[in-house]
Amino acid sequence: MTVLSVSDRASAIATFRFVEVRLMEIIAAWTPTTPEMEVKVMFGRHIYDFAQHADQLGKRTFELRLPERSSRKPDPLYGDLLERVAKLRTTSERLGTFYGGVLAELDRRYGEYVAATDPILDEPSAVIIDRIRRDLKRQRADADAVRTLMSIPMFQPEAHLQKERMIAHIVAR
Amino acid sequence: MRTLSPGEPQHTIDIGFYDNAGLQLRFEPARDDCFRIVRHDVDMDDRPDFDATTRREMVHRHMSNEITSLDIAAACLVEFNDAPWELRMELARQCWDESRHIRVLHRRLQEMGGYKGEFPISAFEWSVTCALDNLPGRLATQNRTFEAGAMDVVAGLIRTVRECGDAATADVLDGILADEVQHVRFANRWIKRLARENGRVLLHVAQAIRFLEAANARFVAKAGEVNKLGKTFEDPSLRVPAVNIEDRKLAEFNDAEIAEILRQAGFRTLVSDVEEKGP
Repeated sequence: MTVLSVSDRASAIATFRFVEVRLMEIIAAWTPTTPEMEVKVMFGRHIYDFAQHADQLGKRTFELRLPERSSRKPDPLYGDLLERVAKLRTTSERLGTFYGGVLAELDRRYGEYVAATDPILDEPSAVIIDRIRRDLKRQRADADAVRTLMSIPMFQPEAHLQKERMIAHIVAR
Repeated sequence: MRTLSPGEPQHTIDIGFYDNAGLQLRFEPARDDCFRIVRHDVDMDDRPDFDATTRREMVHRHMSNEITSLDIAAACLVEFNDAPWELRMELARQCWDESRHIRVLHRRLQEMGGYKGEFPISAFEWSVTCALDNLPGRLATQNRTFEAGAMDVVAGLIRTVRECGDAATADVLDGILADEVQHVRFANRWIKRLARENGRVLLHVAQAIRFLEAANARFVAKAGEVNKLGKTFEDPSLRVPAVNIEDRKLAEFNDAEIAEILRQAGFRTLVSDVEEKGP
């Protein structure tokens, strides 16, 4: 079994923190440009979720020999993909791609991290990630509910998922 | 559309600016098609009495203002992504608070038989606040002026609504008011902290307040103006609400600041109003 070093863990946690901050910013940017009140309301809740995730991950980086609140840019391909998502215009595309694509895959990547790290040595990271994954699940359910409530057409994020699955690791090498 | 120059926010929301006789204001944020957005006070549904329709319009107006507050806090997170993390956390928390306020007011509106889009709305606070290119200016305008002013208005409304027998609406407004105190307080704390670190911050704050006064002068209903519902507006200086001293103290306005606000309000306070009316 390959054990993640402290440095590997710090890089991964700092990368996840970068991603969580960027997710917060993406839906914050969408809030004034999304017409549906109920969707704005959901974004408002999720903005604070992502801020809290970033805050907890930022405290963990300090415990892994990095400065507190360290953020590390992800692999450039993943970073570019996030920036493409940020440019989506319609509510349908935004909900479908962000919740059905980005968050679904981020949940998978968190799961892979927990599976790869030492469950005892790195338990503090695993506990934070477990809380985050529960939030991600709730957020996706929120998005499904609001889409149904507002009769927003379903958007399948196949193109996004295809590109994202070609990126093996989001931690920049 | 105004072009953002170097030194202005690097990450901007894709909403441009419009010119009002030399004043650059931000176009309104996106709203559901059911809403009709107006720009002048006189085009809002201000009513001459305080009946059930007026109370519903009041709840609808507050719901709309909370949507605008959410839009503004979210925009600040994006357009000032170099702000200290603790301040960004406050803004993120404000987003959640405002979204809860929208939900609870929408619920109350529906309980009262109303619906979103029933009355005209304004996004004036967004157009002014988000036209400013610095965060201290936005905090001074939105949190420290509009939201602090709302603390005064809402405290008076809670009493009036309760006197009308509408305890449910009064309770909702009181819960919201408690959250707003924290939004004003964190702005007061951060403006002071940022000003200690950089003297230019106070200049930005002063410029923001002057900008707000100029915008107010253009869009506020003038003395003697009559709206389509037959309401005649008083002189704006007479429409200043009684000061909610207790909550302003909780929001960390100091004694000198409260004295100045009292002077502007003609020394009217919620306490003195109660004393004048008697038990």
